[in-house]
Amino acid sequence: MNMTTPIEKREFKIVGKSVRRDDVLEKVTGEAEYTGDVKLSGMLHGKIKRAAIAHARIKSIDVSKALAYPGVKAVLTHENVPRVLHYGSPHPRSASCTKDQFILDDRVRFWGEGVAAVAAISEEIADEALDLIEVEYEPLPAVFEPEDAAQPGAPLIHEVGPGGNLVLDPVRINRGDVEAGFAQADFVLEGTFSGGRPHPAYMEPNVCIADWDGSNKLTFWTSTQTSFMVRGILAEVLGLPLTKVRVLVDHMGGGFGAKQDLFQHEFLCALLAKETRRPVKMEFTRHETFVAGRSRHPCKIWLKQGFKNDGTLVARDMKLVYDSGAYGSHGPGVTIVGTTAATSLYRCENVRLEGRCVYTNTPINGAFRGYGVVQSYYALDIQMDEAAERLGMDPAELKLKNVVRAGDIAPSGHPILGHGLEICLQHGIDVLDWKKLRNRDRTPDPRHPHMRTGWGIGCEMHGSSAYPGIKEQGNATVKVNEDGTVTLLTGAAGLGTGAHTALAQIVGEELGVRFEDVGTIHGDTDVVPWDIGAFASHTTYLVGTAAKMAAGKVRAAVLDRAAMKLQVSAAEIDLSEGKVFVIGDPGRCMTVAEAMGPSRGIPAANIVANGTYEPTKSYSFAAHFAEVHVDTETGIVEVKRVIPVHDVGRVIHPIAAQGQIEGGIQQGIGHTLTEDYIIDKKTGRSLNAGLVDYKMPLSMDMPDIETIILEAAPDPGGPWGAKGVGEDPIIAIGPAIANAIHDAIGVRFHHYPITPEDILKALREKGA
Amino acid sequence: MKRIVELIINGEPRDMTVDSCRSLLDALRDDVGLTGTKKGCDVGDCGACTVIVDGEPVNACLMLAVEAEGRTVETIEGLQPGVDVLHPLQDAFMRYGASQCGFCTPGILMMAKKLLDDNPRPTDEDIRFGLSGNICRCTGYTKIFDAIKAAAIEMEAARS
Amino acid sequence: MRRFEYHRADTLEQASRLLTDLGDDTFLFNGGTDLLVEIRERLRRVRHVVDIKQIPGLSDITYDETRGLTFGALVTVGRLENLALVRQRYPNLRAAFASLGSIQVRNRATVVGNVCRASPSADTIPPLIADGAFIHIYSRTNMRVVPLAEFFTGPGKTVLAKGEIVTGITVPPAGDNAGKAYLKHGRRKAMELSTVGVAVSLTMEDGLCNDIRIALGAVGATVLRAPEAEAMLRGTALDAVTVKNAADKAMEECTPISNVRASADYRRDMVGVLTGRAIKQALEAFA
Ligand SMILES: Cc1cc2nc3c(=O)[nH]c(=O)nc-3n(C[C@@H](O)[C@@H](O)[C@H](O)COP(=O)(O)OP(=O)(O)OC[C@H]3O[C@@H](n4cnc5c(N)ncnc54)[C@H](O)[C@@H]3O)c2cc1C
Ligand code: FES
Ligand code: FES
Repeated sequence: MNMTTPIEKREFKIVGKSVRRDDVLEKVTGEAEYTGDVKLSGMLHGKIKRAAIAHARIKSIDVSKALAYPGVKAVLTHENVPRVLHYGSPHPRSASCTKDQFILDDRVRFWGEGVAAVAAISEEIADEALDLIEVEYEPLPAVFEPEDAAQPGAPLIHEVGPGGNLVLDPVRINRGDVEAGFAQADFVLEGTFSGGRPHPAYMEPNVCIADWDGSNKLTFWTSTQTSFMVRGILAEVLGLPLTKVRVLVDHMGGGFGAKQDLFQHEFLCALLAKETRRPVKMEFTRHETFVAGRSRHPCKIWLKQGFKNDGTLVARDMKLVYDSGAYGSHGPGVTIVGTTAATSLYRCENVRLEGRCVYTNTPINGAFRGYGVVQSYYALDIQMDEAAERLGMDPAELKLKNVVRAGDIAPSGHPILGHGLEICLQHGIDVLDWKKLRNRDRTPDPRHPHMRTGWGIGCEMHGSSAYPGIKEQGNATVKVNEDGTVTLLTGAAGLGTGAHTALAQIVGEELGVRFEDVGTIHGDTDVVPWDIGAFASHTTYLVGTAAKMAAGKVRAAVLDRAAMKLQVSAAEIDLSEGKVFVIGDPGRCMTVAEAMGPSRGIPAANIVANGTYEPTKSYSFAAHFAEVHVDTETGIVEVKRVIPVHDVGRVIHPIAAQGQIEGGIQQGIGHTLTEDYIIDKKTGRSLNAGLVDYKMPLSMDMPDIETIILEAAPDPGGPWGAKGVGEDPIIAIGPAIANAIHDAIGVRFHHYPITPEDILKALREKGA
Repeated sequence: MKRIVELIINGEPRDMTVDSCRSLLDALRDDVGLTGTKKGCDVGDCGACTVIVDGEPVNACLMLAVEAEGRTVETIEGLQPGVDVLHPLQDAFMRYGASQCGFCTPGILMMAKKLLDDNPRPTDEDIRFGLSGNICRCTGYTKIFDAIKAAAIEMEAARS
Repeated sequence: MRRFEYHRADTLEQASRLLTDLGDDTFLFNGGTDLLVEIRERLRRVRHVVDIKQIPGLSDITYDETRGLTFGALVTVGRLENLALVRQRYPNLRAAFASLGSIQVRNRATVVGNVCRASPSADTIPPLIADGAFIHIYSRTNMRVVPLAEFFTGPGKTVLAKGEIVTGITVPPAGDNAGKAYLKHGRRKAMELSTVGVAVSLTMEDGLCNDIRIALGAVGATVLRAPEAEAMLRGTALDAVTVKNAADKAMEECTPISNVRASADYRRDMVGVLTGRAIKQALEAFA
């Protein structure tokens, strides 16, 4: 069931239609070329030697046997790579990052960190050679929990940064007067919350290929969401001008945020290729995607809120500690975004927040869909449910009362223009007949006496764009060809979300040509306009607006040209579906091709325009309604049904938007119930770095999802009011499930994942 | 040690010279140049490498290339019945949004093909069970289920 | 991945010789679904593999009322899973087969390979033990038949001597008075390695339990029987109270460990829950 309630009435030709995506034909035929499919002649294979110790200094490293091994062409260690301190998360416009990484260091900071790299004529030989590299370590004391790392006297993981194993100075936000707020409260709820370490587990393992040509130019294929950032940092670290680094990425097998770091293997691959003067390919094993990839920051949250007896929220005091792992990566961004997000969702005038991010000797945590907010809203939403319980109120009612509304200030500090949370919540309540659901007969089914059912609601909001943390910029170039077709050049990455299709739809709509006539060029930093990268749910909002601006400019130019040929003024004509016609006299018309082409001594037109857009931020909203079944004997929780109600402003491509929501729900169910990348707290070793023991929900585990998208609250900053959708679903589903579990068995959980063991233990404690 | 393996791939007799420890997956991708079949894990967990060998779907990563001697292998590149003709499943996957990043798509399509060949009218449960060895991390499976159901109906209609 | 050599044996004798002649890092290669994973994940040092899939006579499946079900070493899990006979007579085996890995894995994985890998969490072992299966072993000097319950000596360890090869497994016939069940516990519905697996095979006569075998997977160094629990159940009507007490006893009899999949305590709890449920399910045959 899909329901779309239109906002501004307007006839769209392309926008709002699920046109065939430009990338899917190749995908269903197997022709789509992913980075790992690229094969160059003479290509070598690179592999990384990884440390089997969590914290150590390298005393010595002997590569002589590996170098002598037949088929090995080069070996790199910290002794023969450039020593350049650099960022892990390559956001040049973000002020919050600390440079804390070397390509290879004489220090190991987590179990699995690369200490050497080999290039050989086959993957097998490279792999065998790794065993021949002898590393002698001087072990250093290691810390695996942020609490321990933050203790005075804890072993220091980095010499840079604010010290005390902090990745950045604590983020502090104060609004109103928290003490005064608590003084007004009729009751106070206080709790600690914690989140595990979910891993994005995109299906395409990280992979890159480096090739240097005779003019010392590096061509670099890599599966990245941020090709221009990769270009920038590679150039900086390798000491090259940007003209000497070309980054290519066509199809990508997912990223979910995590492929916006600059990874160690990317530098090593480039250097191995430079050293051997042959193309080198480096492809992660699945194990490496865990160990050397990026996961969501584990988080501990302390949350205290004061309420009045009518449900009004009068004070919020919150401390968050994010575990960065061994390097900063996106830790600063995640901490800022996750902490500031907690100013909002449920309105409260008196807010005091403190967010910290701490290094530990564990694998690096990075960007992942929901960027710090998954953690903070899990706490906010669950505590709101608890408040409802305390008040004897329906949680739906209390949430409706408290959700942010028009006029409220966004976490980013500016007023939100399109407010949809109230509408989403109310819509779900109505569609489901929530009152009736809550008052349903709760007697267990006699055939399954140990089974309990529950319903829960989770609310969220999320910004499209990383403003104000990053001043973003979207760019697009649109060209009209002499046959009337149109080429869009964009630097936005194609993670698989259908972003390029949405951009082409926007261009077609704005310009007035058919969707089929818009071609897209992307994925080549030498060709397309600069792009900040695909993240923060912003591509449609940010690059979409830039594309619309560029399309608007070329449209005007086309109209001018047609006006000249039709011998009328541009104001008298219009352009639609590839045809220019005189308003009121559609018989007088010409195709865009005719307008563009040469005629009567006039050469063909060359019409090109750029659009550059520097937005603030829009917010999208969602309320998820979830039904769970809990087996009280085994503790197994099954999510049976989810009704996600989203406001994403104008929907550009309904099926793609639904797909984002459904996929986000799958990941969020995993986070909440089964997924946790586990690091041994004694050694720092990974315990489940594989797809059998890292448990993502699969086909048989998925609930029925009935997506509802409301075009309730468009944001004027996006194309025709469009906003983001990529990250929202993963935020709302978690609390919906946790609240549903409470509804089923009367037990509150403040952490994820909620395991069967947790359920049984809690039931026992409750029974006792 | 290298061996020459003769087999039939997508209806064509082929031979490939491979190291005897190479997987069928690596041989198809690197030696034959059929890169449509994907490697998501190399240990049987994800199903991205699903190909059909002598009529049965298997993980190409868990089979040695030398074992394919004399066998018939079907890959995603052979799913299209004709040059410009798509298999109904391919068409449905495009229309229903069943492919996002597309990395799982070749394996899922091969699995779905086998499912519909054996069971033209699958129930929802049959489809879920049939795909339980194929991880899709993008779609939440909903649209994949929809596409397979739609293709089944279309194929049924085309037969009658 | 490290390289290894591949050998193809045409006879049992040749395979056996290769195993003894090529040295310690030589392994039989059957479906390869364990071996290749162990090689890729560097869990086992392998220099040579000996493929036995060309050896004639190891792919048969036979059934007769006196001897029962016999299948050869090369018979895949998928083939058995889809056999009508297995569905009808051995719902316990069918449940174990259908829960092992994925369809793709089952098209390659053999039951004999699953047994020879001797993982405590292997899904096919508990129901085979509960059914009293026998395993046929070839060696160059003699053939022997060993009750499956005596085949395992520890995690990954069996009574097989160097050069010995399992040729097949026989499962005794399933009578009309038999009830069987296998319940696998994991956090997902598929692609799971068991956290706990419980198999129950029982026979009823005049409303009383004639015989019962309970086999517990993933709660000990090998798949375990629960002899005391079984004794409590024999001769009873398997009423709810007796079953509950026996399930509690089975919890005492198992020796689980804690690992990333579950804690020892939780595994023990599940032995209790699943034993009760498996008995109930086995009794459904008589309903
Ligand atoms: C993705 C995946 C999921 C899985 N899920 C499950 C699951 O849910 N439950 C489960 O129980 N298992 C599971 N497994 C493991 C299962 O596939 C194997 O245990 C399989 O049954 C082994 O059979 P094989 O023929 O592939 O064995 P091989 O890998 O060929 O051999 C396994 C071992 O047995 C030895 N061996 C093989 N045949 C003989 C013989 N005739 N005589 C003596 N020794 C022999 C081999 O030398 C080797 O040591 C899974 C595996 C994968 C890859
Ligand atoms: S690559 Fe073969 S199953 Fe994942
Ligand atoms: S579409 Fe990306 S994994 Fe399925």
